[in-house]
Amino acid sequence: MKLNSEEATSRARADLGRRLGVAESDIVTVSVSDTVFPDAALGAYLEDEMAADVLTNGWTITLSGPDKAPVEYRGSANQLRLFNFKGENYQV
Amino acid sequence: MNRQNFLGHLALALSLILVAAFAGQLRRWEKNFSEHRTQRECGSKDKVRRQTATDSTRTVLVKFRDNQSASDIEDTIAAHHDQVTDKIEALDDRLVAIYDLDNIKAESVASEYNSLPGVEYAEVNQEIDLAPNEATQDFFNDDQLNELQVPNDPQFAEQWGLQNTGQRGGQEAADIHALDAWKQTKGDRRVIVAVLDSGVDYTHSDLVGNMWTRPDNLTEYFDNELGYANDRHGFNAVDNLADPMDENGHGTHCAGIIGAEGDNHEGIAGVNWQVQIMPLKFIGPSGSGSTKDAIEAINYVIERKRAGVNVRIISASWGSRANSKALEDVIRRAGEEGILFVAAAGNSSVNTDTTPHYPSSYDLPNVLSVAATDRNDQLTSFSNYGPKSVQIAAPGADVLSTWLGNAFEEHSGTSMAAPMVSGVAALIIAAEPNISMTDLRARLLDSADKLPQLKGKVASGGRLNAARAVGAN
Repeated sequence: MKLNSEEATSRARADLGRRLGVAESDIVTVSVSDTVFPDAALGAYLEDEMAADVLTNGWTITLSGPDKAPVEYRGSANQLRLFNFKGENYQV
Repeated sequence: MNRQNFLGHLALALSLILVAAFAGQLRRWEKNFSEHRTQRECGSKDKVRRQTATDSTRTVLVKFRDNQSASDIEDTIAAHHDQVTDKIEALDDRLVAIYDLDNIKAESVASEYNSLPGVEYAEVNQEIDLAPNEATQDFFNDDQLNELQVPNDPQFAEQWGLQNTGQRGGQEAADIHALDAWKQTKGDRRVIVAVLDSGVDYTHSDLVGNMWTRPDNLTEYFDNELGYANDRHGFNAVDNLADPMDENGHGTHCAGIIGAEGDNHEGIAGVNWQVQIMPLKFIGPSGSGSTKDAIEAINYVIERKRAGVNVRIISASWGSRANSKALEDVIRRAGEEGILFVAAAGNSSVNTDTTPHYPSSYDLPNVLSVAATDRNDQLTSFSNYGPKSVQIAAPGADVLSTWLGNAFEEHSGTSMAAPMVSGVAALIIAAEPNISMTDLRARLLDSADKLPQLKGKVASGGRLNAARAVGAN
């Protein structure tokens, strides 16, 4: 199923809530902006991952938890990724 | 025959020849328009414009007076926003066929020109009916219709990378000069290009005729770990089902750039009108895959090459910053088998001399790293570059090609530039089947159009030129 920005944001909020061990209602959506990513991995490669070198339309979703620290998710119609979370990228 | 009679007969004969030649020329104009061909622009043999099937009704023949210079004629036509589609050399180029770009009736255009002091006469182009057989046999045939090498694929006009007419704000001739290349070769189905990607929709109607299928005399692929795999349509390293059907679209797009069927009245034309595309799937639906699966797929190609399959090129429109020695080794092995590995340079706007992108940054004799240019022959803002680690540039912005579901889509990236190079490599092999991989790579680089804006950005300093690569000009 293809994602849209609302669905991607909803999934990102749920994911961050789980990772931080807090209720989804404690997650704040700071911003959602249209972004053109440089590749099909949305610029958030996993280890040993190779991605198609095609410009990919999507969204940068910035959330924050109770500590107010910004957390960046990257989404497209095909996927959702957590970018540089404690130094690692994740596919959600 | 006395001298007076002889001169009379000679004059009559010459008149008949001129009339016949002129009638033939008129017929060719009409036919070229009605067959949806393009016409060569006056004074520029290499540039063509696309026109519609009804264009013959908008063509006007204008005879300029003897006191009008060539530049006077050009200025007049330009001032009226018209386009020269042909001129008659026998009349010192003063009789020109023009095409109105403003959708004005030809009668009105002719009337407008007739009112100008520098015009002797202007008239609407009239269809000259000839007996069908006579017309076909005497005035045009397939060779003449294909003289300009313009394919009849309906969306060809959008393929600026193959023929840039300045469409959508582009720069004329900022393209790979495909039309001139096609005078030399349009490809050959004996040449096989492996598209190492997300698979290929091998049922796409504009690709199906150029897909590789395992020959009946070649046994199913056997791998010690995987066992037998039915590789009828290529290889699938993602889930070992051996069906390389594309679930993402990216591989299908790259395949179309290399070898969508040309001149088949459908969609687009590939760089090769005829070729064989071998799909290798290692990228999944999301657009990414693992190094291991890429290695498995390259290994498949090597095995098939050793079994006699004429795979000469692997096209790789993907990468990352992950440096894998194993991937480098298997690509090197492919080179030892004579396989060129064409790789996208990446889209992070960085210098890969200092920030490598793999596999394009592997310093191997069979690897060609490709940057992307736009429709104005500029390096795109997103393209990686590298005076040492990127070898050549090719069109990679707003590239129209095949997509899932018998569709066509435009996409941008060095992903699109790399298959342009792979396609031209296949054209070279079609023209010179015995060319070595080393010479093939050198030819691609040596024949590039050197552009000041690419100097210091890519090692060759140039953008791909298919025509020069195949020796067509």
